[in-house]
Amino acid sequence: MEYKIELVNLSVYYGDFHALRNINMQIGAKTITALIGPSGCGKSTMLRTINRINELIDGTRIEGKILIDQKDIYHPKTDILQLRKKAGMVFQRPNCFPLSVYDNITYGPRVHGIKKKAELDEIVEKSLRATWLWDELKEKMKKSALSLSLEYQQRLCIARVLALGSEIILLDEPCSALDPITTLRIEELLVELKKDYTIIIVTHNMQQAARVSNYSGYMLMGELVEVNETSKIFTSPQDKRTEDYITGRFG
Amino acid sequence: MLKPIFWEQVMKKILFVGTAITVFILFFIIFYILKNGLAVVDMEFLLSSPKDFGRAGGIFPCIVGTIVLSLVAIIIATPLGVGTSIYLSEYTRESKLTSIIRFGTDCLAGIPSIIFGLFGFVLFVVYLGLGWSILSGGLTIAFMILPTIIRTSEEAIKSVPDYYREVSLSLGGTKWQTIVKVVLPSALPGIVTGIILGVARSIEETAIVIFTAGSVLRIPTSLFDSCRTMSVHFYILAREGISMENAYGTATILIITILLINAFAYWLMHRLMAKYS
Repeated sequence: MEYKIELVNLSVYYGDFHALRNINMQIGAKTITALIGPSGCGKSTMLRTINRINELIDGTRIEGKILIDQKDIYHPKTDILQLRKKAGMVFQRPNCFPLSVYDNITYGPRVHGIKKKAELDEIVEKSLRATWLWDELKEKMKKSALSLSLEYQQRLCIARVLALGSEIILLDEPCSALDPITTLRIEELLVELKKDYTIIIVTHNMQQAARVSNYSGYMLMGELVEVNETSKIFTSPQDKRTEDYITGRFG
Repeated sequence: MLKPIFWEQVMKKILFVGTAITVFILFFIIFYILKNGLAVVDMEFLLSSPKDFGRAGGIFPCIVGTIVLSLVAIIIATPLGVGTSIYLSEYTRESKLTSIIRFGTDCLAGIPSIIFGLFGFVLFVVYLGLGWSILSGGLTIAFMILPTIIRTSEEAIKSVPDYYREVSLSLGGTKWQTIVKVVLPSALPGIVTGIILGVARSIEETAIVIFTAGSVLRIPTSLFDSCRTMSVHFYILAREGISMENAYGTATILIITILLINAFAYWLMHRLMAKYS
């Protein structure tokens, strides 16, 4: 089987701090993988390393490889802009630009050079439909995105990534600012999106990992302790540390 | 021993008196100028040329001179100033060098304008041979207002939340696209405020204009012509005892201009800020 994303002996340092320790992981296409673990264990770092947004932090250093579609994304010849287009990120807090709904969604396509109104309109409709926002928002294209509810804003952020034409969606605790009901709706959306996209979600919420993901990885202090099918992780973890965490004895 | 509540009362009163004095002085100056000046201000005063060195007639050439000179200064200073602030806040990391540059701009902001005037005279008027001209004056005033524009723009750019940049980059935008499409629009109200402060300072500037743009009382027809601004006109009328009435008249127009610019700045800022929030 060919994997969509492969992490090979991946280590990340922030200055002297060893944030990720020798991670090896394979992620298949059109699956949802959840990364769980206590705060500071490196889940977000791992996600941000795949989008290469982590490099913005001073003193970040990386060893090992990340392959997407068998290509090393840290190869010097990698087109970083194309990589970020392919693997889009959704952040913890809804972070729409202070622009209209329409301009938020078309931001990505525009920076990648799409200018034609008809083409942009089509992208907007497609990504809003995919995130179940079209019926609600089709009349409100010109409204400020910041006037929407947090849930809608977060869905808009997901739509913004879809509009890029991404193949991979990286979500960094996307529901931590949302209430339980809206969280469920985002989860349903993710399960629906899995049909077309490869999704990695970092979450603090173990029920969430159990509900949405096919595979789960448990991380602790920069190490990937265990990764397996979600049902197995939650019913018969192989590692004692994983078991302690998911049974609530630790973390 | 006096109780804290006593000091609370006393300080509140002292602060109120201080505020009252400030406001009183401001209104007194405006009232005094308007009282003495409004009598001579009419359309004739605004639209006709001075006669007899300004004893009679209007101040039209000075109004034109003021507008053109400020315009030249702002056209030069805006791209330089905003560009510098973008470079400082987006393209450099905090280091010794950036703090030296910042210290330098702060010092520049504190230099008396007459010294800028002398510098402009030596460099532009004499050495580069531009003579007393709108170009010499505009360039020199631009240098004077640069620090204002740089610092206000930099503060505005810094106050743009970091996550805007992060999102834009994470979507595959380049740094420049991020600056143009996200950072600058959000920072615009602050940047515009800086530019308008710069306009106001160039309109009221006197020393630099005398040193570098001269005081010829004609409507300028090219950038290489000398011109006289309202501030300079006022200075000469009052200083040489030519006509106090017309000096007050000129001052009235000057003050009204500054008030209008400030009002416009407020209006524009609120409009820009209200755009999407």
